[in-house]
Amino acid sequence: MPSIDQIPISIVSPDEMLTGQADAVLTEIAGMLKRLLDDGIEGSIDLRGLALSGADRVWLEKQLGRGEVEIMLEAGGWSVLTETAYPGVWKVMHRDDRDRVVAELIEVAFVPAIIRPDNGDVKKGHESLLLNLKAKTAGV
Amino acid sequence: MERSDTLQEKMEQNGMSRRTFIKYCASLASLMALPPSAAYAMAEALGKAKRPSVIWLPFQECTGCTESITRSHSPSIEGMIFDMISLDYQETLMAAAGHQAEEALHAAMKENYGKYVLIIDGSVATGLDGAYSCIAGRSNLESLKEAAKGAAAIIALGSCASFGGIPKANPNPTGAVAVSDIIKDKPIVNIPGCPPIPVVITGVLAQFLTFGTLPELDKLGRPKAVYGETIHDRCYRRPFYDQGKFAKTFDDEGARQGWCLFELGCKGPVTYNACATTKWNDSTSFPIESGHGCIGCSEPDFWDAGGFYKALSMPADPLKMAATAAVAGAAVGVAISFANRAKKGAAKSAHETTKLEDLEK
Repeated sequence: MPSIDQIPISIVSPDEMLTGQADAVLTEIAGMLKRLLDDGIEGSIDLRGLALSGADRVWLEKQLGRGEVEIMLEAGGWSVLTETAYPGVWKVMHRDDRDRVVAELIEVAFVPAIIRPDNGDVKKGHESLLLNLKAKTAGV
Repeated sequence: MERSDTLQEKMEQNGMSRRTFIKYCASLASLMALPPSAAYAMAEALGKAKRPSVIWLPFQECTGCTESITRSHSPSIEGMIFDMISLDYQETLMAAAGHQAEEALHAAMKENYGKYVLIIDGSVATGLDGAYSCIAGRSNLESLKEAAKGAAAIIALGSCASFGGIPKANPNPTGAVAVSDIIKDKPIVNIPGCPPIPVVITGVLAQFLTFGTLPELDKLGRPKAVYGETIHDRCYRRPFYDQGKFAKTFDDEGARQGWCLFELGCKGPVTYNACATTKWNDSTSFPIESGHGCIGCSEPDFWDAGGFYKALSMPADPLKMAATAAVAGAAVGVAISFANRAKKGAAKSAHETTKLEDLEK
């Protein structure tokens, strides 16, 4: 009887299998970019909703490459928004306060929507700044 | 109890920013298969929503559903309870007990009559007028009828509440039935699974709060967003099925290569659920990824479907087994069991490869 190391076993983990499904994602992104250019319509793809293997994800990441911008956002956990080699295509990964991934998206937009501050937030910030200035003036 | 708090106010009190909430909504939108852009609409609508009262009654159940929910990764149960809903009654989680708990239940029902969301886990025993399962001296059947009257909507959590589940398995000694078999005049959302995927319940509640409606349901009352596709449709092993590459045993070369488990009894092709994409244990994996076929736990009567290790293409023969037992008595069943055990034992001692028939009763 052969010992365990003599038994020829070739284990392929799910993370090593290319299923071919990432190709379709690239085509979809190209369509979204065209819509952004032609009509200004933003789009996004939920990567966690697709049956991509680990190898598919690595392949996709390689195809998309890296651009010049990387944004770190700290809001209930860290988020990383990375521009790909194709301007207007962003890879977005949201983590919760325990560092677990809660959403993983490809966003096609000039700037990811979560980065742009909301009108209400800007208004509150403005009021707060005015109060601060008033207090400083009163202090002087 | 303060009911005027909106989620926005609660968030601000807790120092939660708009962006944090958008992230939270992005995870819910992802779960409910809404377009990622819906996260912004959800954030706006949810921010203005009042916290709904939720009453959760456990019937004939094993607490697996509660275990599943309380171990959900995101959003956490704490977040769900404190930020999103007002959980006014849940026997496993609440501090109150006995008469105090019953008073809390009735106070919540009275105060929020017509507006609360009723969650049921466990099937409803109907045998002997429901006497098989009682809480505080009242049958589950009676409690359900009373609580359902004032509910805006009912969520049947888990396969037992949705379809009767394991308590309903043959020979169903307690006369177990699903919630929808008893209540006919209220909107009911079934969230089956044994246990169900934890974040689905939060997603359903979020949609209820955001759009004021329940999600679109399939013919079995399940949210289409989660149960719209089979495990097989979203399985990473699907390409092997398409190529005709199947593992024949759990330890053959095909199994090692990660080929499709269809011939080993995987019920993925007829099971509607999101395990393949949402996954379990903080999105670590799901059963097929661990090398075992799907057992179809989110489908009605999965326990009596003819064997977890029988391929779907093989005829299920529970009738034959039942007839055998009826004619020859229980002793035959015992004999079959011993014979199969002996077969398993023989295979083990001879270091034979375990085959399908060894695993089947």
